[in-house]
Amino acid sequence: MPLPHRCEKVLRVREVVLSAKNLTKRFGKRVAVADVSFEVLAGEVFGFLGPNGAGKTTTIRMLVGLARPDAGSIHIRGLDLARDFQGAMSHVGCIVESPDLYKYLTGRENLLHFARMLPEEAAARIPEIAKRVSLEERLDDRVSTYSLGMRQRLGIAQALLGNPDLLILDEPANGLDPAGIREIRRLVRSLAEERGIGVFVSSHLLAEVELMCDRVAIIHRGRTLASGPVRELLDRPRGPHRFTVRPAGVAISVLGPFAESGTAEAEGEEDVAVNLSKERVPEAVRALGAAGVEVFGIERPASSLEEVFLEVTGGETV
Amino acid sequence: MRVLPLVENEMLKLWKRRRFRLVLLILVGLIGTIVFAQVQGREKFRSKKDWRIDTQERVARMRNWVRQGRMPDTQKNWMQFEISRLQYHLDRNIDPEAVSGPLFTRGFANAASYLLLHLLAIVFAADVVSSEFSQGTIKLLLTRPISRSRVLGSKLVALLLAIGLTVLIGGCVAYLFGGLAYGFRGWGVPILTGFRQTAGTFDASGVRAVPLWEDVIAVFGLAWFAAAAVGAIGFLASVLLRSTAASMGTMFAALILGTILPRLAPTWAFQKYLFPTNLPLPDYYSGSPPPISGMTLEFSVITLAVWALAAVALAFVVFTRRDVLA
Ligand SMILES: Nc1ncnc2c1ncn2[C@@H]1O[C@H](COP(=O)(O)OP(=O)(O)OP(=O)(O)O)[C@@H](O)[C@H]1O
Ligand SMILES: [Mg+2]
Repeated sequence: MPLPHRCEKVLRVREVVLSAKNLTKRFGKRVAVADVSFEVLAGEVFGFLGPNGAGKTTTIRMLVGLARPDAGSIHIRGLDLARDFQGAMSHVGCIVESPDLYKYLTGRENLLHFARMLPEEAAARIPEIAKRVSLEERLDDRVSTYSLGMRQRLGIAQALLGNPDLLILDEPANGLDPAGIREIRRLVRSLAEERGIGVFVSSHLLAEVELMCDRVAIIHRGRTLASGPVRELLDRPRGPHRFTVRPAGVAISVLGPFAESGTAEAEGEEDVAVNLSKERVPEAVRALGAAGVEVFGIERPASSLEEVFLEVTGGETV
Repeated sequence: MRVLPLVENEMLKLWKRRRFRLVLLILVGLIGTIVFAQVQGREKFRSKKDWRIDTQERVARMRNWVRQGRMPDTQKNWMQFEISRLQYHLDRNIDPEAVSGPLFTRGFANAASYLLLHLLAIVFAADVVSSEFSQGTIKLLLTRPISRSRVLGSKLVALLLAIGLTVLIGGCVAYLFGGLAYGFRGWGVPILTGFRQTAGTFDASGVRAVPLWEDVIAVFGLAWFAAAAVGAIGFLASVLLRSTAASMGTMFAALILGTILPRLAPTWAFQKYLFPTNLPLPDYYSGSPPPISGMTLEFSVITLAVWALAAVALAFVVFTRRDVLA
């Protein structure tokens, strides 16, 4: 009897498209990347999360052979990057640091330029890829007339030319507006889910990684502090709920018993912060209503990158 | 992976950046100005004098100066040499100054190989690699499934092609303008070649008459060779310095040094091993005295070749090993 469809999907062993082991890079005395290891599977989006200067770009430079690691090894679909550069790179599309393309050429000329550096069938993919990144209409304009978002998409188009199994994107959301970010996110998700591409994305935005990635590694000062599925790592109990209420004084006494810490705190004239679990919110609202307190809003700010750092480092200084 | 598409890429970038077009414009403007100035200057006294009398007068004048002897030795040598050259032409009843389109073309190559062609070669060479660094596109170029040496090789080929095209187009423009001013005919005119300066005296033992076109090809070949050597060294500067402005500045300084050093320090013999001193190859070929005595055409060709090959080798070693952090 054939397995049900869903089961089949779960049972299929996902290939490791990128494996980095013990990567280390020094610039003089400064250690930019120290002993970083991770694996990226086919069809998943892997987030590389860290603040400015954490070593994300330096790691990516090593992954694509621009910089030589001082120690450690990189395998792409099982091919050692240091030994078989051409073989390994034929499976990779990438953007490093920023989507720099030839500004004095049109989008199409840029794509043709990079297609000439790939096996011959790459040029034939240009129309399809341009459509995929929604750039067909501006393809014959010079890149100097493009907006940052369009450049970012052209960069991704360029990375897709070689029909890669591994896509490496360095802060693809940098400088984009929310709509642009959403568009990139959707594109990345679809590339991973529909085409089975393994995507490695670096970012310094927690929210972006949360929305886009399946698994994440957190890097700080060149070291990976933690790694694992996004849900486990980032979706921890978060900060307090903030109630915007009137009058605040009454609300504090009403909400106090609900709080895990036993007290509610005033945060400004009409705001009250309470630590409580999601399940108890409706109850608290009913109690507020019964006490004649007007509720204008409830929000729970997402935990910041710093808070996650604090948590994963166990409160060590960041 | 074939190399040809990569060379195509490099040529496309050269063309699209308008650098090549600018160089063409410079050539046209410059040659046009020269021809215009020559025609304007010549018209005034052409009809007045017979070339024979003119040349005889020049020879007599120079003999007089040499006899008075109030000049440095190098200048005296040169003058004696020029006297014998003019005398040689007089004896055979050939106007040493008669101009035709083809002759103008050769004159252009001679003059241009002092500085102009080298400057243009540097304009190309200085940013062939460094522009990729300043634009950030080097990151894309070196993350293709192509070895770094192949990428650099295609750039070198494109550079040599561009320099060759510049020399060729310069020749065509010179012939066009020279032809319009002095007539297009005269490729077959016999021309004396093989003048040499040996130990400060004029040596006509190797002199023979060849059709002008043969001479022109030789002169252009040498001009291209010298420009290509400059290009190869500029290529290294571009790889090492990763900045167009810095490599241009360095190369210009080297060229200018090459033009002034032999004049300001003619007795410092070691400079004959420096590349800028060896650049005016067509001039040797046409019989001008070398910048430093003891240098010959063969010596200069070999010296330049060694410099160029060493520069290219070093460029490849550095480029294929160094981390790209642009
Ligand atoms: N070329 C270089 N020379 C010296 N140090 C460098 C060089 N490039 C990076 N570094 C150092 O390495 C560390 C990591 O830098 P990197 O660019 O990888 O950070 P990042 O995580 O990409 O940061 P950002 O979010 O700002 O892009 C930093 O401390 C930086 O100063
Ligand atoms: Mg970075």
